[in-house]
Amino acid sequence: MTKMRSDRLKIVFMLCLAFITIGGQHFESKVAQLLRDETEDIKCFVEVKDLTCFWEEEEERNNLHDQYTFTYSYENKNKMACVVSSLSLLASNKTVFYCKLPKTPFFTPLDVQVFRDGRMLYSRSLNAENFLFLDSPRNLTVMSSEKEGQLNVSWLPPLLKYIDDSMIYEVRYAVEGSNMGKVEVIKVSTMLSLLGLQPDTRYKVWVRVKPDGVAYKGYWSAWTEPVLGVTQPSDMDPLIMLLVLFIGLILCLLSMTVIMSHHKFLLKKLWPDIPTPEHKFPGLFTIYKGDFKEWMSQNNGSMWGRSVHVYTEELPSPLEVLSEVSLTSHGTSQREERQAVEEDEEKESERSDSGLTDRWREPPEAYCLVEQLRALQENPESLSQSLLLQSHDTYVTLNQNSQGDDERQVDDVFEETLPLQMLFTTAGTTSLNTSHSDLSSLQQSLGSGRLSSQSSFEYPNHTWPPKGPGYAYVAVTDSGLGRHRMYTNDYKNEIFLHKWPLSGQHTQSRSESCMGPVW
Amino acid sequence: VFQGCGGLVSVLIVFVWLGGNQVSPLRPICDLRVLEHFIREAQDSEVIMRGCRGGCGAMKSYFVPLTSVDFAFWEHIDVHEQAVEVQTGLSLLVQALSTAMKAVSNSRLASALDNNISNIHSLSQILSTVLPDDSAPASTQSQEVSSLPELLQVQSSFLRGKVRLLLSAAPACQRQNS
Repeated sequence: MTKMRSDRLKIVFMLCLAFITIGGQHFESKVAQLLRDETEDIKCFVEVKDLTCFWEEEEERNNLHDQYTFTYSYENKNKMACVVSSLSLLASNKTVFYCKLPKTPFFTPLDVQVFRDGRMLYSRSLNAENFLFLDSPRNLTVMSSEKEGQLNVSWLPPLLKYIDDSMIYEVRYAVEGSNMGKVEVIKVSTMLSLLGLQPDTRYKVWVRVKPDGVAYKGYWSAWTEPVLGVTQPSDMDPLIMLLVLFIGLILCLLSMTVIMSHHKFLLKKLWPDIPTPEHKFPGLFTIYKGDFKEWMSQNNGSMWGRSVHVYTEELPSPLEVLSEVSLTSHGTSQREERQAVEEDEEKESERSDSGLTDRWREPPEAYCLVEQLRALQENPESLSQSLLLQSHDTYVTLNQNSQGDDERQVDDVFEETLPLQMLFTTAGTTSLNTSHSDLSSLQQSLGSGRLSSQSSFEYPNHTWPPKGPGYAYVAVTDSGLGRHRMYTNDYKNEIFLHKWPLSGQHTQSRSESCMGPVW
Repeated sequence: VFQGCGGLVSVLIVFVWLGGNQVSPLRPICDLRVLEHFIREAQDSEVIMRGCRGGCGAMKSYFVPLTSVDFAFWEHIDVHEQAVEVQTGLSLLVQALSTAMKAVSNSRLASALDNNISNIHSLSQILSTVLPDDSAPASTQSQEVSSLPELLQVQSSFLRGKVRLLLSAAPACQRQNS
């Protein structure tokens, strides 16, 4: 116990020494401050553990402390005197008289009186514990926090043993160079985090202390010297953020443009359409609700017409039938054929009213062919001979002749169908009926057209006229008679062009052609 | 009476324990915030007294403890002696306050005084827990006050001074690091 007491005494003594050396500075500043702020005539404050009361020197007095008497008493005790001292304030060029009580009683009313020349100058009753004037906090430090806009402030309380748990602090901070400051009040704790600060800014921080007012009361201490702190710079530079946003926007626009321009393609890939045959069957699904029979019945004529039209688009060409008959032993038959031709001529002349006379003049060899055919019918055995098609075979061109000019016939051929001429039927339907399947098929397609034939006699012996490009030949063979009759079709206009110049020749060689095929 | 006091003290202990865990590493009973609460209520009584216009108690003299504290002297006094002085003073205060309350007709003032009395009782319990009062009560000095306002002022000063210093300086309440 005694050792503890001696330790405590040593501590107190050391503290007192420290305060004596350092406190002088503080004393003057406190006096100066109270001189400004305190309204009482006799101003008192407690520094550390001693009460000091001071008053301002009256003017017109040159003498110092001799004239003043300072007395105090408490708890009904006798008055005690205190030594008056003087202090000259350099800042305000004033002189004050003060008295520091040697043993300050706390927690009891204290009566203080100041006399001058036996006359009471000032009198005041106060409790010493209510006028604590603490020193400023020590070791104020401001540190930058890792977080943005935050500063960590810490300090040490003034050296006062018995009051360290009942102090409150006031922290003031402001941007360097600015007068606008904010204040934070904090109790007991000696550290504080300032929040909501501007990034990358220098701040000044001050701290002061005061008793909390429960057990002890007092004045605010003086502000500490300002300490500078710098807040962390913001993570995201606003310029960089703007650039990033801008670039992002441009990329978005580009991608949108690409998507929009290829949206159909992308849509097809991602969401392919289910193919429907509706475009081929107009109205089938919309009008007839998928009833195919109904749709067919309604659209039959037009459909076929269209299909036929399609066929017409393929340019049905005139059928050119080439006869390949090589009848060397048809002497007798030729005569019969001639007769038949004559009969035909008669008949044909009857039909010339229809305006086909001119046409019939051209192909005298048509009659020859008919005669040949008849001859073949009558003499099947003559067909056993070779009937190979030779280069200079006669050929019959089938086309539909218009009622108008012959010159137009060329154009008409490709515009309309070309049914086979009725020549074969009129001459000898019966004879032909038993013949070639091909011919019969041809008969079925007969219309009212005429048969115009062109002889090839004028091209003996492999002097088949070059027909030019594009000629196509279709060989139609007859297997019914045991012979091979090959018919070729010419699809081109050139046929008819060639016909006309040959027509004259045909007529010339008419007589000769009826003599028989010359090959 | 003891049962009531015991219950009140236990409640206070719980209260102090709940509040004390947040701040002080000391034992909950050593938390000065309870004493500070009592001090505030004593000061409230002074305020009520100042505003009292009628039925504020007759002029009467009371014997009250001495409240003055000389820090230099006080620190030399043995803590047990301090405890004895404080306990004696608290009992004196209780007697005086009880006498004063009987003479007060103002209901607000009377309730405040009643509150103060119960607070002092709690303090006595706390201090006797922290500082066992073994020695016999010594004859302590006392003073005489002549009015209720002075009595209330003495109460406030006593609580703020000697009682608080004792509680903060009690060995059981000293922090381990100091």
